[in-house]
Amino acid sequence: MSAPLVLLPSDEVPREHLPSNKSNPLRLGPGLRLLSQPTSQAGDSNHVLTATQAGLLTTDAKRNTVSLLSFPNRRYVPTVNDLIIAQIHHSSIDFFHCIVTPNTAHALLGQLSFEGATKKTRPQLKQGELVYARVQSVGVGAGAEVELTCVNPATGKADGGLGPLVGGMVFDVSTGMAARLIRASSASPDNTDAVEGLVILGELGRKLESLGGFELAVGRNGKVWVDCSNAGESAIAVTVAIGRCLQETDQHNLHPHDQKKLVTRILRDLKLAS
Amino acid sequence: MVGPTASLSVLSRADGSASYKCPATGYNILGAVNGPVELPGRRDALKPEDATVEIFIKPGTTTGGVGERATETILKSVLGNLVLGREKGFPRRGVVLTLNIVGGENVERGDSYLTLLPALLHAGLLAMISASIPLSMTLSAALLGVTTSGDIVQNPGPAAAKSVVSLHVLAFSSKGHLLLNESRGRFDFDTWELVRARALSICQGAHDGDVAMGEGENAASVNAFIRETAEDQIYSDYAHKLDSI
Amino acid sequence: MSKEAQLSIAERDFILEALRQDVRLDGRKPDEYRPLNITFGEEYGHVNLQLGKTHIIVRISAEVTKPRDDRPFDGLFNINMELTNMGSPAWDNGRSNDLEAAVTHTLDRVIRHSNALDTESLCILKGVSCWSIRADVHVLDYDGNLTDAACIATMAGLQHFRRPDAVVRDGKVIVYGVEQRVPVALNITHKPLSVTFHTYNDSKHVIVDATLKEEQAAEGDLVIGINNAGDLCYASKIAGAPVDAMVIVTKTSIAWEKVKVLNAAIDKVLQADLAKRAKVGMADESRAENDREVQPE
Repeated sequence: MSAPLVLLPSDEVPREHLPSNKSNPLRLGPGLRLLSQPTSQAGDSNHVLTATQAGLLTTDAKRNTVSLLSFPNRRYVPTVNDLIIAQIHHSSIDFFHCIVTPNTAHALLGQLSFEGATKKTRPQLKQGELVYARVQSVGVGAGAEVELTCVNPATGKADGGLGPLVGGMVFDVSTGMAARLIRASSASPDNTDAVEGLVILGELGRKLESLGGFELAVGRNGKVWVDCSNAGESAIAVTVAIGRCLQETDQHNLHPHDQKKLVTRILRDLKLAS
Repeated sequence: MVGPTASLSVLSRADGSASYKCPATGYNILGAVNGPVELPGRRDALKPEDATVEIFIKPGTTTGGVGERATETILKSVLGNLVLGREKGFPRRGVVLTLNIVGGENVERGDSYLTLLPALLHAGLLAMISASIPLSMTLSAALLGVTTSGDIVQNPGPAAAKSVVSLHVLAFSSKGHLLLNESRGRFDFDTWELVRARALSICQGAHDGDVAMGEGENAASVNAFIRETAEDQIYSDYAHKLDSI
Repeated sequence: MSKEAQLSIAERDFILEALRQDVRLDGRKPDEYRPLNITFGEEYGHVNLQLGKTHIIVRISAEVTKPRDDRPFDGLFNINMELTNMGSPAWDNGRSNDLEAAVTHTLDRVIRHSNALDTESLCILKGVSCWSIRADVHVLDYDGNLTDAACIATMAGLQHFRRPDAVVRDGKVIVYGVEQRVPVALNITHKPLSVTFHTYNDSKHVIVDATLKEEQAAEGDLVIGINNAGDLCYASKIAGAPVDAMVIVTKTSIAWEKVKVLNAAIDKVLQADLAKRAKVGMADESRAENDREVQPE
């Protein structure tokens, strides 16, 4: 990988930074667009990639993608296939209307878009309940509605814990942090090294194992759902500890070394460790 | 002269924010952007396939009035047109930019808002960048006054602006195209041409040769300043990624 | 959409259950405020306050104006707060909401109506001219307890502010510039602050300085305005679930303790800032003298 390159809106992506994989078509991630520049020769046009946001240029040679990593505090914009944590706002005959980010239009979740759901067995979700869902479609153009689903349409199964989230607690983190957590947890689970500069989950996992461990679901919309019902009496304290560790790591952009210190400090604060 | 200072993502609730301080005029502006958000009512009815950009200026020690509303219109015509309102997730939604004047003298009622305009433009642009609103380009602006002796002065404060013959705010895109020209007072076309050349060299760095600003000119340009501010924030936000490279 | 997104059931249940075990999400005790950070700007009366993630700037300003006809001996004092989209995406620019009205009302009662600022001292010439003092509260980040944060910032601003000196000579009002005469501090009669409590689980659990999520999970609130001497100047239990009268009594004494601590914190930063200014002022003066020596050439 070449030296880090930060682009600003209207900056061109230098050709030497593009992955040189010719077998797949080049895929553009968020923050970039293709512009055609008419040249002096008639009928011939020059294509350039320009940035539309400020961000760090990253490329993935294997998948032949180029994208721009923008600021982590930005608002979440639904993208197909993202996993999110949505909150039920109200329901209509065919759909649950869900909040994905505050102060934006509701996303639609089909009443039957759950594993094994039929008209009779579909879940009865109330206002304020949470679901772990996948973005199915975002539509095109004005007035397009975002559709969510809690099943894999190919298998009809709720892969990866999709469906209603019962109990537990949700914590807000930045969208950048949520993306890092997802990438870090999708890396091999035995990997104790810092993935994406995050050691916090591994560290918490190791130290809280004796207390019954915890269950975690991360939504790209900046929400982390934590459930520690196995921890019995200390369930509340463990949940609070996880939430505080995640939020402080996020807000202060902690270095892996400081993340370990943070875990030790917070667990001692909550009397979960000596 | 002490240059401006700015930082990105200074607030926690807003999707994007920036603070911009200009020591020469004494202004300190905070900008916050939320977007894409749902706007109440049907304010989007005119152009459904585009995003609606709303701008609000909150003065520091008075209640907003005509001056603020007029300046909002100017800002909207510049910043609003930079927003790529048809990108995914943006049509029919709103981008709300709030600019709060948290430091510096008040613009007295009836006085020109021109002295504040560049600071507002820069704070607004940086806040939009911080919120990752898709933009077609960046811009930079300069405030210049022409004194009675015909000298061009940079960044006259509110008091100094009272004694100048004419006052000009010019904004250029990152590629050097003129985006905004607001002038007040008496001036002839030759003067304006001088002002334009000077403003361009302030924004872009001196590359014309005849208006050299001393050595290291590019580092001193407003354009370079905007870029550095954004780069600094990206580098600190992605420190974890850059460490491993 | 001028409403904060509602709390999910999971969050509400968890916050209530945690409080039953005397646990708050950020690890505080029920009577504990979040870290308070106050700094002053270059101008007098410019306060930058952070209470946890709630972030406020207050600017105090003064101008000479005509007193009201019915109160010729009184100056004017107003507190203005306009919530913008900056503080929370749920707030609409240019439209007031319930929170704005409620907080403005409390600030008015606690600070203005308790006569914390002696408005008679603002009179310059009876019936002709007086000072109008204005406090502008700018909310930059909202994470709960706006009332207490705005109250602390406004009181700190009033104590920090210096207005230009003005005298009456031959029936004419002369206002001296800050460089001509040392500006004058405002006459503060007492230092009231508000302390906001929120109640949970049939008022069995009562906490101070709630965050936004804690506020949303609350069943009721209770605001006490009190000064260092223990004089109660405001108490409100406007809405929400009923609380036992004894709770109000015990919480009032907690509020008194809190106000003493908060006022001490204000005092400390205020003294530090004034000392710093005195130092800079002296340095400026000696520099000015040097300048004068150089000037004759």
